[in-house]
Amino acid sequence: MTGSRSKSVVIWTFVIAALVMLSAPTIVVLGASFTAGNIITFPPEGLSLKWYGAIAQASDLRQAFIRSLIVATICTIVSIPVGTLAGIALAKYRVRFARSIQIYLLLPFTIPLIGSGIGMMLVFGNMGVLGRLWPVGIACCVINLPFMIWAVTASASNLSPDLELAAANCGAPPLQRFLYITLPAVLPGVITGSLLMFILALNEFLVSLLLVDARSVTLPVQIYNSIRSIITPDLAAISVVFIASAAIAIAVLDRLVGLDIFLKSK
Amino acid sequence: MRRSRAAYPWTWRVMDGLESLAARLWPARFEKGLPYLMLAPAVLLVGILVLGLVQIGDSSLRVLDTSTFLMSEDLTLANYQRALTESFFATVAGRSLLGSVIVTIVTLIFAFPYAYLMVRTPSSALRKFLLVALFLPFFIGQVVRAYGWLIILGNQGMVNEALGLVGVPPMRLLYNYPAVLFGLVQYMLPFAVLMLAPALTAIPAELESAASSLGANWLRTFRHVVLPLARPGLVGAGLVVVTLSLTDFAIPAILGGGSQDFIANAIYDQFFRTSDQGMGATLSLMLVAVGSLLVGLVFMLFGAGTLAMTGGRK
Repeated sequence: MTGSRSKSVVIWTFVIAALVMLSAPTIVVLGASFTAGNIITFPPEGLSLKWYGAIAQASDLRQAFIRSLIVATICTIVSIPVGTLAGIALAKYRVRFARSIQIYLLLPFTIPLIGSGIGMMLVFGNMGVLGRLWPVGIACCVINLPFMIWAVTASASNLSPDLELAAANCGAPPLQRFLYITLPAVLPGVITGSLLMFILALNEFLVSLLLVDARSVTLPVQIYNSIRSIITPDLAAISVVFIASAAIAIAVLDRLVGLDIFLKSK
Repeated sequence: MRRSRAAYPWTWRVMDGLESLAARLWPARFEKGLPYLMLAPAVLLVGILVLGLVQIGDSSLRVLDTSTFLMSEDLTLANYQRALTESFFATVAGRSLLGSVIVTIVTLIFAFPYAYLMVRTPSSALRKFLLVALFLPFFIGQVVRAYGWLIILGNQGMVNEALGLVGVPPMRLLYNYPAVLFGLVQYMLPFAVLMLAPALTAIPAELESAASSLGANWLRTFRHVVLPLARPGLVGAGLVVVTLSLTDFAIPAILGGGSQDFIANAIYDQFFRTSDQGMGATLSLMLVAVGSLLVGLVFMLFGAGTLAMTGGRK
């Protein structure tokens, strides 16, 4: 079967090229963080952990990282109740204008990021709160909210309405039904969604760039400001934080819902 | 006293208290309104975006007074006229549009075999590996990825150092148009593959076997069976990639080094370099219009795909 052989040769050529493109930056950043030299060279000048020591000393990088963590935490904490309630409402109830509400709630995806960012910059600027961290957290929450709602609706539609009726039949009042039946059922979706929200807020760049000032830069903005001057390996070491958190997020996602869900057709 | 407490634990008391509180706050006769109450926070939160758009619209109608550096009080359409006539903006818009079209074509060419292999491979380990390789860069963020490319392609970067070892003089690989397009392609690959995969999953493998048992070689099978059936996925992925690369900021800023600005960079410069808020707002609004039109088209043609909130089955 020469036909199938040439087919797999062609496909694998493209796939390997794509794999190289996808993975090269990650691998190089990982490798560069362990270099013993002062600038990044090829071939590397030996292995050392000195750049990890250097970032432990660099207070600006550390503070930027802490700010990013705060932003991601605010974003996640806000999105959990908001996204969960909206997701359950859309999946469980018959809502009038459901279609319009869905389209409205998808606005964060349909409006280009630069437009959303500029708009929120003007809004928060008029409120006089630019430069604080909570507006950045809220902004990250707004632009990624559809992910959260999607994750919750996906697991809420697996919940049979009979379960709640059965609970009601046994005398459970509405709040108990919500806490003991509905909430546990959508919990996997809530966890998946919060994970996405946290990781996306942690490395959100453009909206952060628009909403922070010099005193409140987040880590992606700090890295962006630094790579425009000289490229030193300490940035690679701090970037490993992102790589590690991404790896953890993928592992947890795979455990919780399985990555295969993204291959399913509607 | 003691017995009754054992029979009625304090957790029940708490729940009863909460239950009556909830009943008082939201009596049962408002039951019909409950889903709207649950939707309200999300609607309000997205309302910030709408408010932002209104503010952008307002700013876009005011021109910058270059003597006082204040925005004008009266409203005009002068910014729109400038945006449509000045050649600088036309150059930037042309560069972005051409770039996003090239990026889309190249991305689809690479994404299609990737998605095809991922969907059709019998090995679940390979499938998982391909998925992880796709998600890892997606979750790492644009800045770190662009930083990786700077290390690889910079003047003292790995490629040039490696070429130097074999005696080739250093080449300027960064801060040009191809570098930006290359960066965008690798940024868009995960999006394109994830949009294509469900469309390919929906094509029964038996159709391909049928085509080949009727004597079609794999190229003809692809051309006449797989590609036409995958067209919704291709168009959807294409529109998403066009929109995202048209409006991208980080890759042109970092890999273009200021000389290869896309529309988003021009908007940023209007706000933070020239401080012409009105012009920046005008460009933003025009970009929002074009971008929303493209995405709206995707949603109308294909539904919201994997992001559909109608609670399609998993």
